[in-house]
Parts: sequence; structure tokens; C-alpha cells
Amino acid sequence: MPDNQSHILDQNAGFGETEPPIKVAARDVCVAYDGKQALNHVSIDIPDRSVTAFIGPSGCGKSTFLRCLNRMNDTIEGARVTGSLKIDGAEVNDKSIDPVVLRASVGMVFQKPNPFPKSIYDNVAYGPRIHGLALSRNDLDGIVESSLKKAGLWEEVADRLNDPGTSLSGGQQQRLVIARAIAINPEVILMDEPCSALDPIATAKIEELIDELRENYCIIIVTHSMQQAARVSQRTAFFHMGTLVEFGRTEDIFTNPRDPRTQDYITGRFG
Amino acid sequence: MTDTSDTTSIRDAVSRQLPRRYRAELRFRAAGLAAVASAVGILVILLISILSQGLPAFTVNQLVLPVHLDRSVVDPEGDASEASLRRGAYSRVLQDAIRAEFPEVTARRDLRNLFGLYTPLNATRLMDDVLADPSLVGETYTFRMPIADDLDLYLKGRLVEDRTLATSGLLTISADGDALALNSSAPDFASLVEDAVATMRAEATALDARAERARNLAAELEGSDAEDALYEAERLSAQAQALREELAENDGRIELNRDLPTILVELSGVAVRLTALDANGRSASGEAMLGDAADISGAADWTLYVIDTPESRRRVSDQAIVWTRALEARGLVRTDFNTYLFSNADSREPELAGVKGALFGSILTMLIVICLSVPVGVFTAIYLEEYAPKNRLTDLIEVNINNLAAVPSIVFGLLGLAVFINAFGLPRSAPLVGGLVLSLMTLPTVIIASRAALKAVPQSIRQAALAVGASKTQSVFHHVLPLAAPGILTGSIIGLAQALGETAPLLMIGMVAFIADAPTLGLEGLTQPATVMPVQVFLWSDGAERAFEARTAAAILVLLALMIGFNALAIYLRRRFERRW
Amino acid sequence: MSVIAIVALMVIVMLAGGFYVGRARAIGAVNGNTVRLHSLPNYHGYYVAIWTGLPAFLLLAAYGIFGGQAVERLTFSELQREASALNARLEERLLSDAEYEEFRGAALQLRERVNAIGDDMQRLRSARGEERDPARLEQLQQEQREALNSATAAEEAAIGRRAELVAAVGSEAEAAGASMRQLAGFELVQAPREQRQLFLSDAMQIANGALSSRESAELNAAARIVARYQDRIRYFVAVLALVFAAGGLLRTRSQVIPDFRARNHVERLITGLLLLSSVLAILTTVGIVFSLLFESIRFFSTVPVSEFLFGLQWSPQIALRADQVGQSGAFGAVPLFAGTALITLIAMAVAVPIGLLSAIYLSEYAGPRFRATAKPVLEILAGIPTVVYGFFALLTVGPAIRGLFTWLGFDDVVTQSALSAGLVMGVMIIPFISSLSDDVINSVPQTLRDGSYAMGATRSETITRVVMPAALPGIVGAILLAVSRAVGETMIVVMAAGQGANLTANPLESVTTITVQIVMLLTGDQEFDSPKTLSAFALGLVLFVITLIMNVIALRVVQRYREKYD
Ligand SMILES: Nc1ncnc2c1ncn2[C@@H]1O[C@H](COP(=O)(O)OP(=O)(O)O)[C@@H](O)[C@H]1O
Ligand SMILES: [Mg+2]
Repeated sequence: MPDNQSHILDQNAGFGETEPPIKVAARDVCVAYDGKQALNHVSIDIPDRSVTAFIGPSGCGKSTFLRCLNRMNDTIEGARVTGSLKIDGAEVNDKSIDPVVLRASVGMVFQKPNPFPKSIYDNVAYGPRIHGLALSRNDLDGIVESSLKKAGLWEEVADRLNDPGTSLSGGQQQRLVIARAIAINPEVILMDEPCSALDPIATAKIEELIDELRENYCIIIVTHSMQQAARVSQRTAFFHMGTLVEFGRTEDIFTNPRDPRTQDYITGRFG
Repeated sequence: MTDTSDTTSIRDAVSRQLPRRYRAELRFRAAGLAAVASAVGILVILLISILSQGLPAFTVNQLVLPVHLDRSVVDPEGDASEASLRRGAYSRVLQDAIRAEFPEVTARRDLRNLFGLYTPLNATRLMDDVLADPSLVGETYTFRMPIADDLDLYLKGRLVEDRTLATSGLLTISADGDALALNSSAPDFASLVEDAVATMRAEATALDARAERARNLAAELEGSDAEDALYEAERLSAQAQALREELAENDGRIELNRDLPTILVELSGVAVRLTALDANGRSASGEAMLGDAADISGAADWTLYVIDTPESRRRVSDQAIVWTRALEARGLVRTDFNTYLFSNADSREPELAGVKGALFGSILTMLIVICLSVPVGVFTAIYLEEYAPKNRLTDLIEVNINNLAAVPSIVFGLLGLAVFINAFGLPRSAPLVGGLVLSLMTLPTVIIASRAALKAVPQSIRQAALAVGASKTQSVFHHVLPLAAPGILTGSIIGLAQALGETAPLLMIGMVAFIADAPTLGLEGLTQPATVMPVQVFLWSDGAERAFEARTAAAILVLLALMIGFNALAIYLRRRFERRW
Repeated sequence: MSVIAIVALMVIVMLAGGFYVGRARAIGAVNGNTVRLHSLPNYHGYYVAIWTGLPAFLLLAAYGIFGGQAVERLTFSELQREASALNARLEERLLSDAEYEEFRGAALQLRERVNAIGDDMQRLRSARGEERDPARLEQLQQEQREALNSATAAEEAAIGRRAELVAAVGSEAEAAGASMRQLAGFELVQAPREQRQLFLSDAMQIANGALSSRESAELNAAARIVARYQDRIRYFVAVLALVFAAGGLLRTRSQVIPDFRARNHVERLITGLLLLSSVLAILTTVGIVFSLLFESIRFFSTVPVSEFLFGLQWSPQIALRADQVGQSGAFGAVPLFAGTALITLIAMAVAVPIGLLSAIYLSEYAGPRFRATAKPVLEILAGIPTVVYGFFALLTVGPAIRGLFTWLGFDDVVTQSALSAGLVMGVMIIPFISSLSDDVINSVPQTLRDGSYAMGATRSETITRVVMPAALPGIVGAILLAVSRAVGETMIVVMAAGQGANLTANPLESVTTITVQIVMLLTGDQEFDSPKTLSAFALGLVLFVITLIMNVIALRVVQRYREKYD
């Protein structure tokens, strides 16, 4: 295994100086659920202000790794995380890091849109409110408006901010959730198959949005669609059975995969 | 947007708020834990309070007296026939037996008190003994009977506050006119004098305080109300004054009365109640309560027995207590397991009251419930779950069952009264009607549980059965029902346990009467008047005698044991079935 | 052994025989080659057995339930016929009796006067402005009371005189040598309603050779009639049952041929039986509704609905005579409603926070081991019979509350108070709320929680701001169900809340509730015609309607909620 890991790190080192700085650095991250190993010695460096796609067959540990980044694994009974994981050089798994603070700067979007049973406004205002970020109602209005604008939803909902979030369509709900995430200005946004429950048109809108957000955030997206990975991401990581098999520029991975397993997967021979 | 200053400022803002948020988190969590703890705590308090009240009722203090069954008294005809034995004067036998213990008691009133040590109902029990074994006639027979309920409580230490004081001096008692004069060589009475003085002082102070309050009240009121209050205040003041004067009079000699603790001087075979204490703490006056007290000199082995609860505030007299203690000292009082609690039906006398009648009533009632609600409930569930087409009628049945499950139980009682008793003319107070009412009440629970159990059987089982050519009915009865049985069983037993503990509807149909005979455990018992365990608890909780309190708690313990048994049975059966299928 | 028991045994034997006959015939029809049968031989056996036993047993069951009634009715009508001559004579005497007529006339007049005054009072009460005259109202009330008293006196006198005449006619008839049966009929018909029942049941007892409460020549005559009818009906039923059984056996036996679809027949019968069982649930509801409605309507014919629902005074014991009640105004149920509401409120104040917080703690915070011990404990709380809670309230909580408040300086705190009943009822309801809300909270999808945690919310923030709002409808439904439970709870309040029909909001006083009054009114002696007894059914109706409405709403709400997240 160690050989494999160093091989991937070498590959990362080849990105050159023109690349954006490294945002997330993982070394030998392992996760076990109730003693059952789900992730094996994953080491990866993910750059800032770009989109990184995780691909791989179901159950290979993509979501598990994503959950390490904002310590959502803490909420799962029996989950054990080891190894080193740094965001901006700060160790995520360190005891001194409070998951609440961490999660305020690492947003997450889930597979199924999960707006809270509140109004659209309250959904977006949720983060600023719990973290006490808005000092006045005006502040809050501003944050809500700018977040919705950034999520490309403002035009559609500006005149019905008090409607329940669940009254929106699936695609709108997912954008609402994204707006909710960026309302507290995270540095990293994790997206776990954000489009798998959406129709193609809604998917296109989300992809467009991801492309825009890339300017300002470090985005990591799990997807089952090769096309989507190719369309939105700059880098792609291929996971298989709990290990990171290959990681590199998206065009490299898709045109010239080094590992036969990657090759098999992207050509649809398994998965 | 992601310029570092902005993000760090957000991080700072978040961190600044953190302590406050974690405090709120802690508070919320503590509130949740407190809620669980209080629910558990209440349960513990409830169980402890019932256990502590009920356990004493499982033992009983019995008088063990040798009774002489004189032939002429118990067999008036002299032919030892049952009819003759039934006419015997068994009360007299008992009276003679107790009089033999206290020959000095002769006055009519004292005798009546003496016979109050046990309930006259024991004569019937003695008769039953003799009828069971006629050879006892003419013999001396050791008869056990429960002591009167209040004395039983006294012996268990639950009736009065009392203490025994050791003494150091030599006691001399001499006759002083009608009364007795007691003298000790040491100041053995001193602490009692202090206590009595303190009690009276406190009493006087309390009276003064009340008078003061009445005066204040008078100032606020007007007209005749104010006058009344003033008058009351004067009266209280006068009382307080009288008390103080009494203390000062007679060189501090204190007269003891019914409102002050009772003090008994006890030495072997003799008991003297003190009527006055001298201030010197060495001498006192008294009256004989037991044995020949006059002319005792220099006795060393004596004790002071103080009953702090004044005689006026308790239900048993000093004399009864003295007699009881004497009997106890003579080894004639035995503490036994209270078999009466299980072998007797209800009785007006707590010491003879038992749960047998209610237990039998419960058994009969539950038999009806089991025979009706379980089959009908399971059939209904099978119909709704397996057969019913989706139409208005079945929808109606569904809604109906859900609502029926939440109809207050007392309404079922009204139904039983109006339909079973008034319209059908079934007998009141009968386990039959009780069982019918409880069956209707339990039905929804059984149906809902059975439906859930049937629903849980995977669809594939039905399809498999149908695929091998079984008819619908065969697939249901041969394949689905056995698989659902554990769930149905558990649900049914929970419903039955509910019915076992139900009281309110049974009050409506008259199962709340005093019934001194247990119903027979058989078909004819179904129409005999009866009551059930929870109703017995209700009846006893209303009992005037304090001893019924303990009986009530004991009946509750029996009821809870039954329910635990029921539930244990449910768990056991479920385990067994689960292994088989 | 009685005839009926013998017949039942015979039917059982025939039923068993029927099974074997059906089976054997089926096997015989195909010469043992059972494959040729449409249904298994056993089904043929079942088919024959069912048709042999079922009709006969249904008949016997019907006899068991309605036999006694039928005998009673028949006896009554025969005695009535017997007594018709004597009754006619009595009517004559009554008509010609000046004294009786006078009393009756006076009573009628006075009654009318009472009603007229009542109308006046009504007018005065609803009057406004100038017209209002409290003094006059009081005067009218006084007058009405007097008129009422004299009316009652006159009626009593009329009844007394009538009784004298009845006795006179009876003894004359006896002297003239009327038969015992005539006299028995006369006694029965002229007796007041509740005594008629007693007379008949005594006659039944004598006829069955059991001990009766009294004995007389008339009763013995009636008993002979009872015995005659009893025998007739019994033998009729016995013969009919045997005919049914034999007929069923013979008819179905001949149907057994190889192609006969015995299984389908049996299965159709089973399905019918299943349907019948489920209809019983509906019948129960129908029974409840009709029995409550029927008796309530009788009650409301003496006490107006408005007075019952809005009257402020409840003292049913005052009403000694049925016709006095309407005017006495003692059936105002508002104090009961208020008492019920007060106790329910206290109970909810205990149960909702503790139950809800427990459910939250157990489902969101507690570890699996803690949950596994704490949950059963809560379930135990739910399994404790309510009398036990009542006892606890009466002997532990009540005195404790009195001690506490006396210590705090309150005077005259009673042991049986709304507070102690309410607190203990709250404890009883805790597990109800906690288990219902536990279900509800667990059905809130995990994705919502994850969404909130991913935003950096703490647990309590997630619970209070996301889970609770999502679960709210379900929790409201649970609370409604709990309220309906509290409103209908009986034993705790009967034992611990006291009986004073106080209209008060002070929880330290004793109050009374709907359920307590139903129990009070229906335990002890009851004559089924007095408004006192009937009012219990009116209260039952109110209780039923209130709880039904709450249940329907609650079930709807919970259902909707479930559908939303399933
Ligand atoms: N909460 C959990 N508890 C136990 N095992 C889990 C849990 N979540 C995921 N796993 C296991 O971890 C492995 C990786 O799962 P996941 O990360 O969800 O895969 P992916 O998102 O790549 O499809 C799977 O084998 C899965 O069964
Ligand atoms: Mg996944």
C-alpha cells in the first residue's frame, strides 16, 4: 500500500507552481465503522479555488472521505477516523478543533435536497443565526439576498421568501441548500452527489452554479456521472474499495488513466 | 469573498459565540436528562411508597390462645351433630379464653374493651375449625386469631410514637388512697418532667401566637366579624394563661392528661400509668393498669415506657396497649405470614379481609375477555389485513377501530350498563358482564397489534403459498398466521394486561359492591356477584380503618405481581415461538 | 341436567358425526381415490359439520341471551291481561272519586302556574334596559318556589289517594274471590316501574327454585306463569335446535359428491365469519352512540340542553323528585367542565415537558445502553393500573402537597385537590407522550439533521430549530391524544380530586370532573328513570363527543404527518 500512496503524492507534486495553493491535505486517512474498514490510507492534496471530483463505484468510501472533511463522521456511532487531515495547515481531527467551528467553514450539500421545514428566508438565515453572524435584521437581509443571488436563486424566489422551502422544485431546493451553505461563507464546499435526484435541466443549472462558485471556493463533488465530472471538475480522484486509486487532472484521468481499474471504471466495465 | 481577513473574522465571530452556545447546549441536555431522571424517580418513589405501605400487610400478629371447647357450650344439643355444633356459643369460648389471661378485669366496660382485642368474627372461624374436626369438642385447643387491626398496627410500630427509657433507681410503690405513689431512688422521672414542661410551654406559646393573629385579623375586619375574632383571641389568651398558671402551681407538679404523652411504669407482670409527675423527678403518682401494683418496694428491674402520641390522638386506649404488651410478654402473640390475605374474600374487618374473592373475580372476568377479544380481534385483523377490499365499509371499520381505541374506558361502562344490563337483562356485578365490557374495550388494542403483526409478515410468504396452489384461506391460516403469532400474542397480552388493571367501566356495572364470598371458579361463577382486583383496591382505599391502607397497598402488590406475570408470560411465549418459526 | 345442556351435547355429538359422515361419504364416492375429489375429504367433513352445528348453536346462544327477557315479557303481558278487569274497576273508581280528582286538578293548575311564572322569569331575564328588574325576578323566583312546593304536595296527595284506592280495589277483589293470578297482575301493573322489575325478578327466582327477596301468594301465582312459559320456550328451543341440526346434517350430507366445491363453501363461511368479527367493532360504536343518545334525550326532556351546558350549579342530589328537577337548576355542568379542564391543564403541564424532553433525550442524546434501560422504565409507568396511581395520589402525593403548602403558610389546604390529581395524572400520561413523540421524532428524516449539523449547528440547535419544527404536527397530534386521555381518565380523579363541584381555578381546592360525576351518579342505588341517573349518560355523551373530536383531529394530523415523511 505505501508504494501506491507515494506514487499518488508524486503525481500531485507535479502540478507545478501556477496551480492554486493546496487547501486540503490528507495523509493516511483511515475510517472504520464498527471495526469494519471503509477507507484505507487515503492521502491526497486538494487545491483551493477549483472543483475536485470524486468518482468510484458505490460503497467505495467517497462519502466517507467527504464526511471526514467536516467531521460529520462524529455524528455516526461507531465511526473511527485515523490519520492526518489538514485544511489550510490546521489539523481537522485535532482535539482543539471544534467541529462546530470547522463546519462553519466547511459547507456540505447532500444527495437529496434537504431544506429545513421553514421559510426560504429562514433556511438561508439558519447559519448566520445560529452562529450569531448578523448583528441586525438588515445585515441578515443582506446576507440572505447575496447568498441567494450567488446561488442563482434570487430572481426566482425574491417575491416569496416567506414560502416554505419545501414548496420549491427539486432543483430549486438544491440551490436553496447551496445558498444556505454559502450564507456563512465557508472555505470548502462538499457536495455529495448533488444532482443525482434532479432532472437534466436542474442538473445543468447546478453545474453552471458550481462553475461560478469555483472562483471563490474550494469545491469537492462526489458524482456518479463521468460526464459531469468531466464537465465541472479540474481534478478527479478515483476511489475503489476504500482506497484512492488515482488522482490527477480531469482530462488526464479521462483520456489517459494509469491504473487499469480506473480504465475499467470510466469505460463502464464495472461500477 | 474568500479573502483571508473576511474568513478569519467569520471564524472569530463563530468562536466568540461558542461558549454561549455550548452553555445552551449543556442546559438543554441537562433538562432532557432531568426529565428522564424525574420520570424514573417518580416510578421509584411510587414503588417504594407502595412497597413500604404494603409489605407490613403480608405479616399478621396473631393471638395464640388455649381455648377450652366445653361440651356444654359448643354442643348445646349434646349429640355432636353439625346442627348442634353450629348453635354453639363460640364467642363465649373466646371470651372465656381471654378472660383467663386477665382475671382481674371484671367491670363491664373493661370487659368490653378486653373483648375488643380481637374481632368477634373469629368465633365463626373457631366454629369452622370445630366443624372440620368434631373430636375437638371437650378438648383444649390452641386457637390462632389475628389481633384487632389497630393493635396489629401498634405491634408493627406504625400506630404510635413510643420509646422505652432505662432506669437506674430502685422503685417503691405504695397505695395512696385510690391512687398509687411511686418513688425512685434516682431522678428517673426528671427527663420526663422536662419534656412535659417543654411541651406545655410550647403549647402556650402557640396559643399566644394564634391569639395574636386573631387580634390582627380583628383589626382588619369590621362589625360582628371583628368582635368574633376579638372574642376568639381573648379565649386563646386565657387558655395560654391557664396553661402557664398550671405549670407554676403545686410546686411544679404536673398533672398528666389525655392530651399529653402516656407514661407507663413497667415491671414484671405489673403496669402503672402515671397521672402526675413531681418536680423533683423522683416521685410520681399513678394508677394500676395491670397486675397488683400496690406494695412494691425496692424493685430494681423496671422501665419507663413512653407513648409520645397522646391518647386523645390515637384510636387505641392505653389499657388496650397494656394488655397487648402483656400478652406479647407472655408469648401469646405470634407474628405469622398473613394467610388471611389470600384465603379470605373481602371483610369489614381489615385483619380478616383478603383478596381471594377479587382474585377469583379477576380470573373469571379475564377468561371471558380472553375467549372473546382475542379470537374476535384476530379475526378482524385478518379480515382487514388479508381479505378486505378497499371500500367505504372497510374504511369505516378502520377509522372506527382507531377511534374506539381512544374512547375513555368509562364510556364502555356506560355501554355495558345500558345494553348488557338494562336492555339484555344480564345480572349486575357479574364477571360475565364485566368480561363483556372489558372485551369490547380490549378489542381495538388486539386488532391494532394483530394487524401490525400481520403486516410485518413479508409479502413473499403469501406469494409463495399461493404459487404452490394454496387457496387464499390456506395461505393465511397455514402460512401467514403462524408467522404473525408471536406479534399477535404479545399485543393480545398487552391488551389483556390493560383489561386486568381496568377499574372505571366495572364501577358502572356494579362490580363495586362489598362481596364477602368469593365466586366459584366455574361456569356458575360467571353470574355470581363478584369484584375484581383493581376494584378491590379502590374499595379498600376508601376504607375507614387505617389498617386498610396497608391492605390496599398489599392488594396493589398482588395486582402488580399478576401484571408482571402476564408480561413475563408474553416475553416467554414470544421467545419460544420465535425459535420455532 | 337441564334440557338445554342435553340438547347442546347432542348437537355436539351430531356435529362430530357430521364431520365423519361428510368425510367418509366423500371418500366413498370416489372409492378412496381422493385425487378425484374437488376438495380434500376433510373439507367435506367441515362443511357438513358446520351446517349441522352452526344454526343450532346460534339458536341456543340467542336463547341464552334473550330467553329470560322473553319469559319476562310474556309473563308480564299475561298478567296484564288477567288484571284488565280489576284495572278497569280501578279506573272507574278513580274517575268517580271526588277527592282524587280534586288533588289532580289542583296539581295540574299549580303546575301550569309554575310554568307561567317560569315563562315570566325567562322574559325578565332576557330583558334589557328599563325592563330589567332584579327585585321582581327575585320575587318571581320566590313565588315559583312556593307554587312548586304546593304543586308537589298536591301531586303527592293524589298519588297517596290513588294508592289507597288501589289497596281498596285489591282487597274488595280478594274478598269477592278473584283468582290469585288476577291479584298478582293487578299488583304488578299498579306498582311503580322499578318495583315491577323487582316483582318479576322475584317471580323468576321463585320459579327457578332460588331464594327470592320476599314471598307472597301473588308472587307464587306469577312464578307459576313464569315456569309455564319457561318450560314452553325451553322445549320449543330444544326441539327446534335438534331439528336444525338434523336438517343441516341430512341436507348437506346429500350434497357431498366428488365435484362438490366443499373447500370454497367452507372458505366462504370463514370469510363471512371474519367479516362478522370486524363488524362487531362498528356495532360497539353504534351501541355506544345509541345508548348514550337514547338516555341523554330522555334526560334532556326534563332538563334543557342549554341549562345543562351553561348552568353554573351542579348538585344532582337535591333533585328528590323527577318533576322538581327541571326548575331546580341543579344540573349545570359548567363546574364539571371547568374541573376537568383544570386537572387536564395541570396534568399536561407535568406530562408535556417531561414526556417531550424525555423522548428528545432518549432519541437524540442517550447512548444505546441508557436507552435500553430507560425506555422499559417508562413503559412500566404506562403499564401501572390507574387505581394504583389513584392510591398514590390519595395517600402519598395529596398529604405531601398539603404538608408543603401548609408549611408555606396556606390555610386549610385539602388532601384531595385538583393539584394532586393533576400531578399524578400527568405522571400517568408521561409515557404516553414520550412514546408517541419518540415515534414522531424518529420519523424526522436523518437528512434534515445532517443538513443542520453540516451547517455547524450544535445538537440542541438542531433539535430545537430543525427537528422540533419538523415534528411539530406529529407532536401536536400526540398531545391532543394525551389530552383526550386525560379528559377521560377516571380512577385518579375519583380517588384524588375530591367531589366538591367547585367552580374555581385554584388548584388547591377540590374539584370534580365529568368522569367523577358519572361514577358518583351511577354507583350505589339507582333508579333508572330519575334525571340524576340519566344525567350520567348526558355527561357520558359529552365526554364521548369531546374525546372523539380530539381523536379524529389527532389521528388526521398524525396520519398526514406520517405520509409526509414516509
Ligand atoms: N453509517 C455507516 N455505518 C456503517 N457502515 C457505513 C456507514 N456509512 C457507510 N458505511 C460503509 O462504508 C463503506 C463506504 O460507504 P460510503 O462512503 O457511503 O460509499 P460511497 O459514498 O462511495 O458510495 C460502505 O461499505 C458502507 O457500507
Ligand atoms: Mg455516497
